[in-house]
Amino acid sequence: METSRDDVGIAIRSAFLKRGTQQRFSLLVLVLLSIAFIFIETIESKPLNYLRAFIKDSIYRGSLIVSSPSNGIRFIFDEAGEHINLYKEYNQLKQENEQLKNKISETDYLVLENTQLRRLIDEQIKFPEILVSSKVMLDKQSPYLNSFILNTGINAGIKNGMAALHGKNFIGRIVDVNFFSSRVLLISDLNSRIPVVIEPSGTHAILSGKGTDKASLEHFPENHKINEGDKVYTSGKEGIFSPGIPIGEVEFNNGKVETLFFSDLDQITYVNIVSANSKLNQ
Amino acid sequence: MALSIKQFKYKFLGSLPLILLFFISLNGNSIVDFELFSINLHYILVYYWILKKPNILGYGFIFLSGIISDVVFGFPLGINALTLLIIAGTAAYIRVVTVNINLINDWISFIPAIFIANFVYFISLYFSDYSIDYLYLFKNSIFTFAFYPILWGIFSMFLKFMD
Repeated sequence: METSRDDVGIAIRSAFLKRGTQQRFSLLVLVLLSIAFIFIETIESKPLNYLRAFIKDSIYRGSLIVSSPSNGIRFIFDEAGEHINLYKEYNQLKQENEQLKNKISETDYLVLENTQLRRLIDEQIKFPEILVSSKVMLDKQSPYLNSFILNTGINAGIKNGMAALHGKNFIGRIVDVNFFSSRVLLISDLNSRIPVVIEPSGTHAILSGKGTDKASLEHFPENHKINEGDKVYTSGKEGIFSPGIPIGEVEFNNGKVETLFFSDLDQITYVNIVSANSKLNQ
Repeated sequence: MALSIKQFKYKFLGSLPLILLFFISLNGNSIVDFELFSINLHYILVYYWILKKPNILGYGFIFLSGIISDVVFGFPLGINALTLLIIAGTAAYIRVVTVNINLINDWISFIPAIFIANFVYFISLYFSDYSIDYLYLFKNSIFTFAFYPILWGIFSMFLKFMD
């Protein structure tokens, strides 16, 4: 028994402590270094942030170069697919155009009425100021984290917590900023929690990502008046995002209240970054 | 002359697993995600080569590749590096204690390697305050294990060609 225990000890020591031929580091040293890295990640200090930003920027550029052949092939396939579906899409767009033309007059009237009513109640209308438009540099579609990398960072005035919009729709927030790149955590991610308001009932809730193309609505009152098709907007309650940015519409799924996003999160190329602090009063 | 060509071939082919290691890290393909299942290529690659030819993938490179994966996937630095080193450590231990190397032995010993690595992964993410789909992680582990013999076969053929 003693011998067997000794053997295990010797084997572990041999595996983790011996450097072996052509190995510059022992496994134990690198394991300890990894643990140190994990702990250092929790420390916020300017020099460390600069170092992290430099490392991440360099890796993102490297990743961009390495993925360029596969991106190129994907682009060719997408383009070919689009050309094949051109006629079908043309007919679809024609139909949509007709429908939209009919709706325009209705929408114009509603916008006018809305502005007049807001003036009537003397409300300050706040518009988020678009700080910068950025291009999606890397979209690795990690199975664990729904996020992508933008090609702008501190150099364009982007800060952590800013809202990311696709057109006018809210799609996520900035969670990591480097010198020339930043990461957007999408609303579909499991780590995303956004305070929202559901209109027209005005019910407040929290929108939690599920890792899919829908997010669930949580923490709303029991006697709510939420209906299928209701619109979901940012509430601005957390003080980071501007209120009233459209997100999606309510959908009931097996008794659960979910939100179907207005934007297709897999089809995003350009993103507008806005700050809640920049408000224009009308 | 013949010897130098052989040496060159060995050096060139020997660097391919390392190139693949960095390619999948930088390209974000360490987890190959299909409609119904996903496979962690990183685990298989590291486990196989540390078990068979530990001098081909240096521990330092494995660490670096893990750091790259962390950055590309948006995890705190060190998490993937740590799990890959755990896989490498388990493979190194198996190499020390195993006399008879064959597919079945390798395959079965891959179970504790995945189990320990994913446990470390879980703990690290838990303390870093990150949520992931743990059911996905479990399914990924099962399919990574199931897929191992296929890559084992491909790598073994490559190894024969190399030698």
